[in-house]
Amino acid sequence: MILATFLGGLVVGVAAYAITDKGVDANPYASLPKVAEPAAAADVARALENDDPKALSDQLDMTVLQQLQTAIDPLLDIRSIKFVGAVEKNGRVLAAYVAGGRTSDGTDIVRGFVLRLTGDQIVGVN
Amino acid sequence: MFGLNRLPPLVRTATMMLLLGGLVGYVGTAFTTTFVADSGILGNSGESNAAHKYMLALLQRQSESLSQLGPSGDVVSRALQQQNVSQQPQDVKPLTVTYLGGASSGRVSVQIYAVEIQASGGQYQFLPFSLTLIGGRVQRVE
Repeated sequence: MILATFLGGLVVGVAAYAITDKGVDANPYASLPKVAEPAAAADVARALENDDPKALSDQLDMTVLQQLQTAIDPLLDIRSIKFVGAVEKNGRVLAAYVAGGRTSDGTDIVRGFVLRLTGDQIVGVN
Repeated sequence: MFGLNRLPPLVRTATMMLLLGGLVGYVGTAFTTTFVADSGILGNSGESNAAHKYMLALLQRQSESLSQLGPSGDVVSRALQQQNVSQQPQDVKPLTVTYLGGASSGRVSVQIYAVEIQASGGQYQFLPFSLTLIGGRVQRVE
């Protein structure tokens, strides 16, 4: 009987937290609708995941490759690439990815980077 | 206490157990959800409240909030950060702030946003922000 009352209280406590927890605060600004992963960005992500330097050099010019190198530094061995989302405005697309892997000293890390596209062309990396 | 001693012993014990269970349930859930979110045990990819607050503080130039939410540096570094924030142009107006997504590995989490900004001169920018959090605290902004 005592245990049942305690467990009942426990359930009420969990429910009370679920009701009162507001999670992330409301965004006071408008948001853009998400768009599908652009094909050109998906090709770059695939080349990174497959450790394919030839495909990367075919798809990106030297300036963008250098920006990509800076964006993923200090990742040396990329194990995974996850597309997290993309938005489009006035023909410009931002496609966001998170790369997971290891640094030169064997530490597992994650790095986020964003491919900037105009039309079907990748024009920069942040 | 609270007039409980006027109640019959059985009712008093049941009430105490109910209150104790409720307290344990509430505090336990709060602790567990915060711990799981900050440790990245489940590889959560939802928006982090800390990242969300940091982005808003950054766009609204709230240097005090940025100091609290950002990396814990020495007093001079924090003063420099406050000065940087206060010297940013005041006429920049955020138009949209979109959470693109994120991912976690252990205690490290990456959260990415896309922001549209309009300056008073009409200059428009559409740029991304990538926030790296360790243990629920923003450590790096790119």
